[in-house]
Amino acid sequence: MTHSLEGHHSVEQSARLIRNYRYAAERMTRLLGGWLPLTPEVSAKLLMGRHVWDNAQHADLFGRRLPELRAPAQVSEPSGPAFVAFMEALESPETPELTVERLVGVYRVLKPHLLAVYEQHLGAANAVYEPPTCRILARCIEDERRHVAAGETVLGHLLAAGGLYDRAVAWQRRLEELLAAAGGVTGEGLPPVAPRSTVPEGEGSGEAREFIRLETAGSPWALPDDLRAAVQAFGDALVNGEAGALDRWIAPSARSGQAMDPALAGVRLSDHRVVAVARLGAKRIVKLRAGGPSASVTLALRWMPDPDGWRLESIEIARAHVASPA
Amino acid sequence: MDRPVAYDKLAREERVVRMRARDVAEAKIEQGLPPFPDLRSRESIRERVHGIMVGEMQAMEGAGRSVYDFPDAPWEFTMDMARQVWDESRHLEIYLRLIEHLGGYPGEYPETTILWRCACAEDAAARVAGVNRGLEGLACDVFNQLVHIARKIGDPVLERSVDFVLADEITHVRMGSKWLTRLTEGDPERRRRAIEFQDTIDERFNLGGVRRDGDHEEVLISIATEARRLGGFTGEEIERLIKTTQRSQVY
Repeated sequence: MTHSLEGHHSVEQSARLIRNYRYAAERMTRLLGGWLPLTPEVSAKLLMGRHVWDNAQHADLFGRRLPELRAPAQVSEPSGPAFVAFMEALESPETPELTVERLVGVYRVLKPHLLAVYEQHLGAANAVYEPPTCRILARCIEDERRHVAAGETVLGHLLAAGGLYDRAVAWQRRLEELLAAAGGVTGEGLPPVAPRSTVPEGEGSGEAREFIRLETAGSPWALPDDLRAAVQAFGDALVNGEAGALDRWIAPSARSGQAMDPALAGVRLSDHRVVAVARLGAKRIVKLRAGGPSASVTLALRWMPDPDGWRLESIEIARAHVASPA
Repeated sequence: MDRPVAYDKLAREERVVRMRARDVAEAKIEQGLPPFPDLRSRESIRERVHGIMVGEMQAMEGAGRSVYDFPDAPWEFTMDMARQVWDESRHLEIYLRLIEHLGGYPGEYPETTILWRCACAEDAAARVAGVNRGLEGLACDVFNQLVHIARKIGDPVLERSVDFVLADEITHVRMGSKWLTRLTEGDPERRRRAIEFQDTIDERFNLGGVRRDGDHEEVLISIATEARRLGGFTGEEIERLIKTTQRSQVY
């Protein structure tokens, strides 16, 4: 039987571990904040926005604990260059279409690892002289559990879109290799991470489900029937390459300067659908996405009511993707 | 990551239509409509609420960038900005729910990026002056008026939720007042530049005479003098703002 005053960590070791934890928590706070404008999906935006503050509080609690361990306050210290390299890689997915990679890095790799490390530390900490550290770890564990569950819920939603699963798995594997090479946040190795299925669903996942609902909710487009018919006819003419039929919808006052982008000339389109409808007084801006085997184009069409029905006041290419010839 | 993030790099879902604020205002004026929703109908309130939702999203993103862009600022500054991210994320959720409550949907009106353009100052002092005092000050004006209108039309859901958001915004203005002072201590030139930046934002958001001192029901955006006082604006600053609104050009 061990003595009640036996301990696993010295004061100095404990301070170093806390500086390591603070490095991860601070860096995660900053990168989640930095990613917000680069992430299009509302569910992921709300998720990250919620967790920036929790992570900052973790870093702050660790930082405040340091002077009690004869160390300067609010100092972060990575365990070594390999952990810095892991964090650099984790931060690297910046473009809008890489939300899944951003979430995988934080919610399937870093946070589950921190959760395992904090639990291990808490389990080894002395209950008589380390309660100040234990209380901080307990708070962080509770938050990280909630965050992992919430992140998993949003990831499940995003991955359901299809075609992303392999990418998510590959990115997770790459980051896990880097984390293992670093020996984890402390440089002392990786405690086993609980399988995802054993992370209890809780407040976090309920909140995340609501974020998803808010992202996917919304009335049907506010399109009057006659405008719906006009948009349908315009889209059909676009897909069928009927220039004359397209012209029919363009208001006479707007005919000059409404040539379609030459980059799209000759591109085969096979279907179209409305992806956005915005009101501008009595006018409507309709985003129409048309796709084909080698191209997709999103047009922003500004429609205005006219005595003869709806007419196009302007056409802009909001987004175009044409595959390069092989 | 790039610092700062250009306005046309803000990532948005496909359902969002983005336009320049000037183009939106001009298109509405051409149709004989006020450039900004006048809050005289439920649809007009919905349009205003939609604009606020967009503003809250950009405010969350802007506060997030302040957490990321200034790693050398005092830690307490980062904590305040991180707290603001949390607040703004709740505000975004509140306004998404209010849009539902009012029978609308996100994307029903175009998004303008005028707020974001103001949030891209490269100096932390200028950014808090511009965002926390300029833009959040504007938010106090808009929300204070919206609370009044909600009370008048008997919509307690709108009234109560916006009033809580207003309380947060006053806190954010207070943070801006605190950090403008602390970050420029002993550096009057930096302070002058930060205040100058805030003045350009205040001028821009006078919106050519749309924001004015006056009754909530008489002007499109009324200046919330009491909320601004609570946020740390001096009487002299409020007077100065009122004077600038009087000389602002009509849009």
